Amino acid sequence: MQLSKYLPYNKHTLKSFFSFERTPLNMFMVGLSFALVGMLGFGIIEYLLQGHHAYGVTRQHAWGLLIAMYVFFVVSSTGLCIISSMGHVSNIKAFQIIGRRAIAGAIIMILSGFVVLVFEIGHPVRMVIYNVLTPGFTSAIWWMGTLYGLYLVFIILEFFFLNNENHKYSKIFGLSGLIVGLAAHSNLGAVFGFLVARPIANGVFFPLYFILSAMVTGSYLIFLIYGWRYKMKFPPEVEHMLHTLAKVLGLLLAVLIFFEVWRSLTAVYGGMPERADIAIHMIMGANFLVGEMLLGILIPFTIIIISKGKAIKTMVYASVTGMVGIFFMRYDLVHDTQLAPMLNLKIREYSVAPSLVEYIPTSTEWMISIGALGVSFIMYYTADKFFNLDHKESDIH
Amino acid sequence: MARYGMALDYKSCINCKACESACKEENGILLGADKHRIWVGVNDIAGIFPDLSIGSSSFEPSQCQQCDNAPCQEVCPTSATYYDDNGVVRVNPDQCILCTYCMQACPYDARYIDDRTLTVDKCNFCSDTRLANGETTTACQATCPTKVRIFGDLDDPTSEISQVLRDREHYSLKEHLGTKPKLFYLT
Ligand code: SF4
Ligand code: SF4
Ligand code: SF4
Repeated sequence: MQLSKYLPYNKHTLKSFFSFERTPLNMFMVGLSFALVGMLGFGIIEYLLQGHHAYGVTRQHAWGLLIAMYVFFVVSSTGLCIISSMGHVSNIKAFQIIGRRAIAGAIIMILSGFVVLVFEIGHPVRMVIYNVLTPGFTSAIWWMGTLYGLYLVFIILEFFFLNNENHKYSKIFGLSGLIVGLAAHSNLGAVFGFLVARPIANGVFFPLYFILSAMVTGSYLIFLIYGWRYKMKFPPEVEHMLHTLAKVLGLLLAVLIFFEVWRSLTAVYGGMPERADIAIHMIMGANFLVGEMLLGILIPFTIIIISKGKAIKTMVYASVTGMVGIFFMRYDLVHDTQLAPMLNLKIREYSVAPSLVEYIPTSTEWMISIGALGVSFIMYYTADKFFNLDHKESDIH
Repeated sequence: MARYGMALDYKSCINCKACESACKEENGILLGADKHRIWVGVNDIAGIFPDLSIGSSSFEPSQCQQCDNAPCQEVCPTSATYYDDNGVVRVNPDQCILCTYCMQACPYDARYIDDRTLTVDKCNFCSDTRLANGETTTACQATCPTKVRIFGDLDDPTSEISQVLRDREHYSLKEHLGTKPKLFYLT
């Protein structure tokens, strides 16, 4: 039995696997990837030695940078899946060329997310066992985890059939992956939205916002992936796709700004404790103003508006700031949810009761979180080597 | 089967923290400031000398509220948090995956991580150390010098707690969240 009969892949010797054009940019990415993976390794060693004590998380702030990074990765994955589905599921012509590359990216992103999660969840093996044996059906984490598992299976099958040029099955699994992915992802929003104890997070906002911001993230990633693939010398069909994507992204960002404005206003209006005070603290902070708004939304948005979506090369660079902004969105989401102390009278743990719960990520948390990006880079390089991720004539139909 | 609850005559609390020590001793809770099942909340004296508001100073001892509609149980992905036959909300350490979702969901900050089992722990009304042996007291209640706590079966109309809840005004913490706490503060 030969694997290549079922899943066409490029055969490589060690030498050909490691051979690439030695441009300064490529060399830089190689160095960066290895540095990141090295960081991840150090972080993991720290974690294995000290457990959760290596992290800055506390009783009041039990979720930290790792959860934020997990969310970052799975948002990216869902985003890529949604954007690629616009092509080969919804048959929007311009996007049909991105299927393979985007789905490979989606698989890589969710796997990287799981890498981070394994070092956050105290007992990952037990999780797999009791998720099945004693499921907690009222738990958004249960649904999120289970649906994401299913999602991963579907998008792997989708990728498999895309590679086999079986467009019927790739469409079926693409649609299944999309539906399950949307369900999983809105459930991840609900993990926060369901928290009655946390007025700042409680409500319908997060499940919807997660889907919207996933689409924004997916678009940024497509710009980055294609900018890298063609080193800014785009063939006409890719250029057309990126032009269309820029317009879609412009619209998505406008809606996102609209979301953020109304979310902030409704949170502040009326001065409800644990909501208004937290919201004011949040929207006055540099994380929100510079990170989320300026880098994440306004810079890319302005470029799209001014150039009417034509400046796709600039958009590739703007997608870097966009992704940094997206990172801030994930971090703030996790951090701000936990800002309000649950019981103000409780000063047992403090000499002076804090008005807001504090959290500073430790170096271990940074090393694992950011280091996991190296895993994504290496997985992408590998996927690019073994599979033909470029579009073919037959992809457009 | 009982439905255990606790009434706190909190105005009698003198912040001696005997309950905190008794709970640690009885239930073998690890040392360390954030490893606690029980605490005494302190409302500082408000105002600037000499206009101090002595009346604002009060102590509010608290612990897990043993919610009848517990958010921590609702969010647990592996059903590690469960209601036992006595209506006590408990954690099965064999099933807990330490996702700490329950710590996010509990509106009372009643949960913490036990570093020995690396699972989440909380007050269980001394279920292992006392109720299991047929006793119907808790360590924090028994030790309290001013007898702040009344512990007993809410379903039994003749129990002391049922009587006191009929006779005296009381409130619970964050009732508006719909958690249906079984800790009652007597006013
Ligand atoms: S007080 Fe917190 S830990 Fe206790 S039952 Fe209620 S939600 Fe659960
Ligand atoms: S930390 Fe343990 S008890 Fe709490 S929700 Fe997760 S699995 Fe359940
Ligand atoms: S009832 Fe028992 S476990 Fe709960 S706080 Fe009191 S002593 Fe601790």
